[in-house]
Amino acid sequence: MSDTGAGVRTGIVAAAEPPHHRRTLTGYLLMPALLALVCLALYLYVSSQELDSIEARSLNAASLTKAIWEHVQLTAVSTLLTLVIAIPLGVLLTRPFTRRIRPYLLTVLTIGQAVPTIAVLVLLAVAFLFLGFQAAVVGLVLYAIIPVLLNTMVGLEQVDESVLEAGRGMGISKFGVLTRLELPLSVPIILAGVRTALVINVGTATLTTYINAGGLGDIIVAGLSTNRVLVQIVGAALTAVLALLIDYLAGIAEDFLRPKGL
Amino acid sequence: MTSTTVNNRSTGKVMIRLENLTKRFPGQKHNAVDNLTLDIYEGEIVVLVGPSGCGKTTTMKMINRIIEPTSGRIILDGEDVTTTDPDALRRRIGYVIQQVGLFPHLTIGENIATVPKLLGWDSKRVSARVDELLEMVNLAPESYRNRYPKQLSGGQKQRVGVARALGADPDVMLMDEPFGAIDPITRDRLQNEFLRLQSEVRKTIVFVTHDIDEAIKMGDRIAILQDASKIAQYDTPEQILTAPANDFVSDFIGNGASLKRLNLSHVSDIELTQWPTVQLGTDHNQALDMLRRSDRSALLVLDESGRPRRWVGADDLHRGAGRPLDEIGLPAGAMVEPRATLSDALNELITARYSVTIVVDAKGIYQGVVDIEQINEAIRGMRSSAVARARAGLAEGAEAGSTGGQP
Repeated sequence: MSDTGAGVRTGIVAAAEPPHHRRTLTGYLLMPALLALVCLALYLYVSSQELDSIEARSLNAASLTKAIWEHVQLTAVSTLLTLVIAIPLGVLLTRPFTRRIRPYLLTVLTIGQAVPTIAVLVLLAVAFLFLGFQAAVVGLVLYAIIPVLLNTMVGLEQVDESVLEAGRGMGISKFGVLTRLELPLSVPIILAGVRTALVINVGTATLTTYINAGGLGDIIVAGLSTNRVLVQIVGAALTAVLALLIDYLAGIAEDFLRPKGL
Repeated sequence: MTSTTVNNRSTGKVMIRLENLTKRFPGQKHNAVDNLTLDIYEGEIVVLVGPSGCGKTTTMKMINRIIEPTSGRIILDGEDVTTTDPDALRRRIGYVIQQVGLFPHLTIGENIATVPKLLGWDSKRVSARVDELLEMVNLAPESYRNRYPKQLSGGQKQRVGVARALGADPDVMLMDEPFGAIDPITRDRLQNEFLRLQSEVRKTIVFVTHDIDEAIKMGDRIAILQDASKIAQYDTPEQILTAPANDFVSDFIGNGASLKRLNLSHVSDIELTQWPTVQLGTDHNQALDMLRRSDRSALLVLDESGRPRRWVGADDLHRGAGRPLDEIGLPAGAMVEPRATLSDALNELITARYSVTIVVDAKGIYQGVVDIEQINEAIRGMRSSAVARARAGLAEGAEAGSTGGQP
């Protein structure tokens, strides 16, 4: 199980495979309890403050719920699209017939990742007058593809060659070898990539406020432009809580989706 | 039991015929396998053996077309399979590799069920077959069926590998150094178990190894391969040991060919010598009398049911007057069963007090003894019969040829 070897071959090291054992029940409950505590503290602190009209415009249940919901939607849709694009692409790029174009494509994608999302978003807005939710999703997907793609490729390449040879030697078809051996055996590493993509997307989705796509970025930017520290803190804290919560959920999904016996 | 019975066991039907098989890998100047023609008979273990890089694995992998031949034909059970659907072909052929390659995310049961499921067996039949196979390879089904491969030792994994290859009861099995990555003691046990299994299932097996001792032990027939899978000799282990076809073969066998030959004959193949024996409780004077009449230096004391107990010499009888026979002399060691090889018998003999190995049956009852003369005789016999056979092949002339391959 050396993903480092495969990582060296592609020139980029993918996210490491997570530890093998499922956590205990207390382990599972620790993170949600902590996050709930943070939210409670935040609520009590904000309630104890006298809000002026500008603060009250951002810090009310309706606008906060809207911002959080938009943020979750942005993250979910962009991650889903990322998976739909990156996993099949990763499969294609590990087949023998794409060996020739593999290095070029990887170079292009890696350069793509070096360009900051904010730049992509602004370019989309200015050059193509492409704004709003859909533009935001495009920006997020472009950025999150790389970790998922690389992890898919590394995951597929680290599968023990003798397992595949045994499978082929027993008369499992090429497609069967992919779906029944290669993909299940690379699930842990692919999932690690998906988790990375999710976390990246939660974070970067705060930037999409600049192209009018909503999200928790709205709250933070509102606080910044009106110079209201309390609003900034609430926006930033909620973003952090959401990111940690999504990472936690992804971690649970990893624990349960990993094939037994690995 | 391995090879002395080749001709009785084999039906003489050609199961696999390789015809002018050639493989050249892209970008290589020379053929990895060059124009190989080989007949493999039904129910035999044919061992392909040769130095590394001689093309033996490539040859084997062309039979199930994991490697596609560049030219030539593969005929399986009378049917040309050179261009048929490779997946269907592979489901008819068991495949065991050195690294085993168990599917780590599936249980042992699911691993073994792979090919039966591919062939669309119903689940009842599949699970019955899985249990049967686990029994066959000496793994208790109820405790192993639901384990995962990582919970097994190397030897256990390879047993599962063999069981998986036998999944849909294929006629033909290909085994690529199956015991190569296993420690010597376990390897020996697995080899013996496998030979016992083979005596029940009688598959046609192509077995690749680089180890000539393993080839001699496992093979009904051995093909010694040179560069590009050129056959240096294709014959029974006895013939190869007694009449190597050329210098390459003799070099490959290495030193100690006659010692290796002793692995091919069993104690049951030779006539045992009788040794003077005496029952426990016999009077000392009577025993001395018997000893005097024999030309040996000691008597073998047997208990009531005929099991060897002690060696008793004349000195012992004089000195130990009045004591029971099982308290004087030396304990009887160096015993073998009839299915032991002559090599085992010789091993025991070297350390034995009276330079003989006692032969007992499965219940431990005395059958006779083997001494150095008999082992010598056996070697001489093997040599002359091999020479005779080689001469007979010479007389038959070129039109019939021998068993294929090089004369």
